[in-house]
Amino acid sequence: MLIRTIAISLSLSVLAGCAAPTRYIDPAADDGPVAMTMDYRDFEKAATDSVEDMLASGAVNNPNGGRYIMVVSRITNDTMQRIDTDQLTKKIRVALLRSGKVVTTTAVGLNGAEDEMSMKARELRDSEEFDQSGVQRKGTLQAPDLSLSGKILQRNHRVGKEQQVEYYIQLSLTDLASGLAFWEGETPIIKRGSDSSVSW
Amino acid sequence: MKRILFASMLVLGLAGCAAQPETTSSLIDRQELKVDPEIIYTMNVTELFEERLAQTGGESLLQVQFAVEARSDAELAWKVTWFDATGMTVKGVGEGYRKASLLTGQTRYFKATAPHARVVSYQLHLREPK
Repeated sequence: MLIRTIAISLSLSVLAGCAAPTRYIDPAADDGPVAMTMDYRDFEKAATDSVEDMLASGAVNNPNGGRYIMVVSRITNDTMQRIDTDQLTKKIRVALLRSGKVVTTTAVGLNGAEDEMSMKARELRDSEEFDQSGVQRKGTLQAPDLSLSGKILQRNHRVGKEQQVEYYIQLSLTDLASGLAFWEGETPIIKRGSDSSVSW
Repeated sequence: MKRILFASMLVLGLAGCAAQPETTSSLIDRQELKVDPEIIYTMNVTELFEERLAQTGGESLLQVQFAVEARSDAELAWKVTWFDATGMTVKGVGEGYRKASLLTGQTRYFKATAPHARVVSYQLHLREPK
């Protein structure tokens, strides 16, 4: 009994020693293996391509001066994966904000405001409990000029003995005054790998 | 005792020889193009252009374009780091290297646009992805 216990303990210790150690990955210097699913590098590539193209095309240059106000509309996930599309839109929003050309409103959204506090804070109006000089006045919220919408598509193919997974990240920037798409872009991300790899 | 003295002198000597960092941005002569030796055998950077794209309000954005010609099938990773007038880095969208594949004899053109109008210079690094 004692011998068996020692043997099991030893085996477990050896197996634990063989496991790859947990380590930090620096996104600025990551040459690690590629997954068949969409990973952070794919979102980074799509966001970089999109933002650089938006800036270079002049689509986010407000002819009246100042910054455009953008709202994030629907980004449809038409893949087999559970993707939080904020992984893509947040990078775009941050980069556009840093460019000094676009600011995103969080007070409006398709499924309600992203930050409901803009409206909640206005409910303090006429409350005797609050100093009214600090309460937001009527007519101060800014309506959006531009809307960012899009779709992430996935198509799977068998190529010989391998599997090819194609992702297409399609984005449109619509001018809300005219309804015209001022900018549109598509970033294809194509991966080919083992047929036994899972892409969902 | 002699050994300790010798080791201390060696350490002090090496510390004195270490290159001192630049402390004034005007003195920095930063290479615009850095190409790792591993990829020199397989490809050649044939062009490197830069231009400023006019923006509203009199501003302009720096844009760089470079061309790479491959002598054999090869993989390439590239990244542009942006700097403002004081020599400080200006953050772009992503931090990672962009990867590209080249076929023998193929010339590919790559473009990058600065994230902000205050960018005045850049450094392009080309390397072989591991």
